[in-house]
Amino acid sequence: MATTRVAAATLVPDSVAQLDKEPVVTSAPERQRGVLVMHRHHLLVRCSHWLNVPVLLGLILSGLSIYWASPVYHHKPDTLTGNSDWLADVGIWICANVPGLHQYSNPPDWVYNHISLGPGLLAAALRLHWLCAYLFMLNGLVFVVGLALGGGWRSLSPRHTDLRDALKMFRYYVGFPLAKLTRRTWLPPCFNTKYNALQRVAYFSVPVAGLLSVFTGWAIHKPMQLHWLAAIFGGYDKARIWHFWLMWVFILFVVPHVILVLVDGWDTLRSMIVGWSTRAQRSEGFSQ
Amino acid sequence: MKLEDENSTPEADNTSTESASPQKPASFFAEQPPQVKGVAPQLLRRWSRRDVLLFGMGAVAAAVGGGALLPQTTLERWGIIHEKKNWPKKEWLLNSALRIDDDVAEALYSKDRSVPTYTKSQITPLRNNYNGATPDPSYIPEWRLTLDGVASGLSVSLNVRNLVASFQLHEQITRLVCVEGWSAIAWWAGLRFDDLLTAYPPMSQAKWVRIESSVNRGPWGNPDPYFVSLDLATARHPQTLLATHFNGKPLTVEHGAPLRLVVPVKLGLKNIKAITRISYTKDEPSDYWAKRGYSRYDGI
Repeated sequence: MATTRVAAATLVPDSVAQLDKEPVVTSAPERQRGVLVMHRHHLLVRCSHWLNVPVLLGLILSGLSIYWASPVYHHKPDTLTGNSDWLADVGIWICANVPGLHQYSNPPDWVYNHISLGPGLLAAALRLHWLCAYLFMLNGLVFVVGLALGGGWRSLSPRHTDLRDALKMFRYYVGFPLAKLTRRTWLPPCFNTKYNALQRVAYFSVPVAGLLSVFTGWAIHKPMQLHWLAAIFGGYDKARIWHFWLMWVFILFVVPHVILVLVDGWDTLRSMIVGWSTRAQRSEGFSQ
Repeated sequence: MKLEDENSTPEADNTSTESASPQKPASFFAEQPPQVKGVAPQLLRRWSRRDVLLFGMGAVAAAVGGGALLPQTTLERWGIIHEKKNWPKKEWLLNSALRIDDDVAEALYSKDRSVPTYTKSQITPLRNNYNGATPDPSYIPEWRLTLDGVASGLSVSLNVRNLVASFQLHEQITRLVCVEGWSAIAWWAGLRFDDLLTAYPPMSQAKWVRIESSVNRGPWGNPDPYFVSLDLATARHPQTLLATHFNGKPLTVEHGAPLRLVVPVKLGLKNIKAITRISYTKDEPSDYWAKRGYSRYDGI
């Protein structure tokens, strides 16, 4: 941060002499006035990024309501309740063990009442799921066009060093809270690319997961006309399981994604809204 | 980092200059150095304010609009609304998505595309999925199939012995896929719907079939006629059967004796059991589950 402020300050003085003149455009960057900003995200990428929030939320809420109609993970019916659904068991466990929930009227439905539209709403859930699914596919196109127009895809493409560097980065994140507590210096691994390797792996995998969600979705939506697609995923029943677990990929991505962007600071969060970042000094070592 | 930190140029003008990087990227695929610009702090503040405001308005619009799309029962359970509210536009939007999806399904359908067939070792149990109570088998002895809307203009009445005797029976082992997500592989035999259409051609304007089972019962055993709509194109598919046999034996009452529809290119809910009437119609007939918010076409 301090670097940026110094950089900005050194950029300024010349401008004082030119206050009443027309703006002068110079080719040498060090003679420019103002703050150095770095272009981060194309407008279409930003739109697509934020549209994913309501669309994915709608897909997950309706998707779990659809799952309720015929749970994939079930056991032999319980002799007392007749319940055979593991997610219903989770609800029963939550109501039995979480303080304040002992009086909950229908424990088997707790999970469905809280992270889905609710049980018994299959028709409504299907309609919402189709609406969100078509929006999700359109949004995927917007994302791809934005990546192509802004050239952002180059920052996402995998490199042969990614796995090793991603592990280093993972080690850094894991050790970070401990280092803070013990007041030790804990420097992040050096990189001179837009994203570190762990980010790159994540930001590359999530669109792939999106693509697989769409393919598995079509496979279970049209298992007759597109039976070859279902066959790729091991048949209709296996494609349902793929589709279910791909949902968890998104959930497991979003949790650290949100935590890390909040830890990283306003500039990073803002860059996904406005498109630019004032952390331009980071790029100085880029071309070296 | 706060933008307000850069207040050292209060009179900054709207300059925003490109600092074109002199270095070309090494290859088309290589990551390129970022575009760095010098931007006047005031301008940057204005951009920032504008975009964050736009974003906030979008977020509020998405929350309100998206929330309004959720079912009433969900909103009531979450304590967001406390009484029934009616947003006519909401149904319109959700129904449009359903119609688009039906159009896609119709575009995917082809009379020449067969659904996968299986071997006898792949057969799985098929549950008795009568919605409510299985009808009393007393209807079977006096069962007759009525055909309406045929080209002759007359109403045709057939019994199952006539049907089995006068049509060739076809066998197929296909998957039945329920809208709920479960599926079963079953071995069917019956006459092709297409053969019935040839023997008793529909009136010339007919585009649809309404198939009805008057013996269907509701959850408390009350009479609850079941009826489905089927487009004639699907009825003509070679794997659309009027089945008389299940797993090598005549149909039992659980599986729709004596005659049921097996249409593997549609969801299970179109595979109506114990058919009592088939009517060819010009306009799209009503459908039991479409009236309850499900798709009308149900092509899979």
